[in-house]
Amino acid sequence: MSFLAYMLRGLWSKKVRAAGLTMAVAFAVMTVVSLQVTSSGLEQSAAAVISIGKADLTVAQKGVSDILSSSIDETELARIRAVPGVSSAVGVLVETEKVSASVPLFIEIGIAPQDLAPFGVTVVAGRPYAADATNQVMMGWRAASTFGLHVGDRFHTNGTVYDVTGIYSTGNAFGDAGAMFPLVALQAYNRVPGMVTLAFLKVAPGVPVTTVARRIDFRLPELTSIRTASQFGRADRNLVFLQAAVNGSTILAVLIGAVIVGNTMLLSLFERTRELGLLRAVGWTRRRTVGLLLGESLVLALIGAAVGVCLSFGVLAILERLPTLSGVLHADFTSAAFARALLTAVAMTIIGGLYPAIRAARLTPLEALSYE
Amino acid sequence: MSEAIRALGEPAAAEGSQPCEVDFDAVVKVYPGGVRALDRVDLRIAEGEYVTVTGPSGCGKSTMLHLAAALDVPTSGTVRIGGRDLSAIPDLSSFRRNQVGLIFQLHNLIPGQPIIANVEAVMFGTHRSGHERRNRAMELLARVDLAGREHRLPTQLSGGERQRVAIARALANEPRLLLADEPTGSLDPAAADLVLQLFERVRRRGVTIVMVTHDPGIARLADRTIYMREGRIVEPGL
Repeated sequence: MSFLAYMLRGLWSKKVRAAGLTMAVAFAVMTVVSLQVTSSGLEQSAAAVISIGKADLTVAQKGVSDILSSSIDETELARIRAVPGVSSAVGVLVETEKVSASVPLFIEIGIAPQDLAPFGVTVVAGRPYAADATNQVMMGWRAASTFGLHVGDRFHTNGTVYDVTGIYSTGNAFGDAGAMFPLVALQAYNRVPGMVTLAFLKVAPGVPVTTVARRIDFRLPELTSIRTASQFGRADRNLVFLQAAVNGSTILAVLIGAVIVGNTMLLSLFERTRELGLLRAVGWTRRRTVGLLLGESLVLALIGAAVGVCLSFGVLAILERLPTLSGVLHADFTSAAFARALLTAVAMTIIGGLYPAIRAARLTPLEALSYE
Repeated sequence: MSEAIRALGEPAAAEGSQPCEVDFDAVVKVYPGGVRALDRVDLRIAEGEYVTVTGPSGCGKSTMLHLAAALDVPTSGTVRIGGRDLSAIPDLSSFRRNQVGLIFQLHNLIPGQPIIANVEAVMFGTHRSGHERRNRAMELLARVDLAGREHRLPTQLSGGERQRVAIARALANEPRLLLADEPTGSLDPAAADLVLQLFERVRRRGVTIVMVTHDPGIARLADRTIYMREGRIVEPGL
C-alpha cells in the first residue's frame, strides 16, 4: 500500500467530514470562479467595442465611468489625424438601446458611409445608407438573423422606422449583433452633434503602434489610447471598479473558506489526536504526520475545486439567462478561471491548514496517546 | 494453537538488527507538577531477556516503558538501548520505527483502516517497497492466525484478535526490543493465553521483551520480574 492509498482510505473512512470539507471548498471555488468568469465576460463584452473596427489603435476620452460615455469632438479628431504616424482616423458614435426584453443592450453605431471600408465593414447584402439619410440603417448579420430582417425590410428602434438598406459584417460578434446608422443622424437623435465616442486609427506603414500611442497620450492628455482589452481600464473606470470588487470578493471567499477548512481540520485533529500519537509512537516522523493531514486536505481541496468549477458552470448558465444579463454576459471559461479555481482551493487549504498542521507537528507521541 | 501461530516462534534474523540490551542508569523522571515517577532507577536487561515489570498503579512501570521506547525523556540519568544513549540519538522516530516494537493495553489500532493497513503503516519510511510491505503484513497476520481477515476493520474483530494485530504490527519492522504495556489487561483468559503464547514464541527468536503487567501469574512466565514501588525497583527479579 502506498502512502497515498493509505491517505485515501483514511478519507473514505470519514466520508461525512470529507464531504463537508469538500463542499466548503467547492462553494468557495464556485463563488470565485463565477465572479471571475462574470467579470471576464462583462470585460470582454465591454472591451468588444474597441475591436469592432479593424484598427491598430483606439482612442477614447480618459477616465470616463463607462467607455460609451467617452466623448471626442471634431477638433480633437482633427488633432488625432494630425499626429505623425497616423494614417487615418475614423470617428464612430456608439450608443446602446433596449430594443426588447430579450435584447436589452442593442448596439447602435454611427459612422459615415465613406468610413465603412476603412473601418473594416463589409457589406454582404444590399448597399450602404446615404450619408444624409435619417431613416436608413444597415443591420449586422447577427442582428438581422436575430430579428429576421432582410434588405428592404423595416426596423423599429429609437421610436423611428428605418429602412434596412444593407447587411454588414465586421468579423466581430459584438459589432455584428448591432446596427449602423449614418453618423449625422445618430448624432442628431442622441443630441450630440459633432461628437463621436471613439476614434479608430490606422497607423502609417513602418511606424510602431506604440510610438503613435505614446504621441497621442502626450499630445492629447484628455484622451487615452487603447491597444488591448487589458488597457481598457484606462478609459473605463467601471471596469477597474468591477475588477477591484472581484479581487476583493475572491480574497473574502478564500478567507471564509480557509476558516471553514481550518475549523474542520482542527476538529479532525482533535478527533484523531490519539491516532496521530500512535503513528508517531510507532515511528512516523513529524513530517509524515503533518504530510498526512495536509495531504488529506489537499486531496479534498482538489476534489472541491473540480466540484466548484462544475457548480459554477451551472450558476453561470442560470445567470446568462437572467433578463438583466442576457446578451451582456457571455460566460467565458478561460484557463485563468481554472487557474484561479485551483489557486483558491490550494490557498484555502494552506491558510486553513497551517495552524492545525503546526499543532499536529508540536504534538509529542506521549501527550497525543494520553489525549482523551 | 494453529500452525501459523507456531511459526511466529521460528528463528529469524532481523535485518540490520542491533544489540538490544536495556540500561537505566540513575534515571529520574519528574513530571510537571512535581510528581516523581522514577527515582534514581538503575536497571540492566540483557539482550534476549524476557522481563516483566509489576507493581501497584502509579509506581512508575509505564514511565519506565515510555523512556525505553524513546517516547519520553528522563529528567536526569541515562537510558541506553543497545549501548546507545537515547538522548544522543538525533532521529528518535527512526529509532522507534526500526528498533522498538510497541504494544499497548488497548491495542490502539487505527479504526478507519483495515488491519492490513494498520500493520503496513508502521513500515512507511523503511527500505521496503509497497509490494514488500504488503507481503510482510500478510505474512505477519497469517502468523497470528488472522489470514483471510486482512481487510477487516478493527471494529469487526474481537479484543483478542485486535491484540494479535497489534503484536503483528509491533513485529513488522523486526525489532530487537518489544515493549508491552499490559497487553492482556483487557482480554478474557482464553484470548490472554493466546497472546502470551505469541510472546513466548517471539522471545524464542531472541527478541528482548519488557512487559508491564499487574497479573502475578503472567509475571511469573518471564525470565525475571521487576517489582516497583513509588518510582523505585524494590525487589530485583531473579
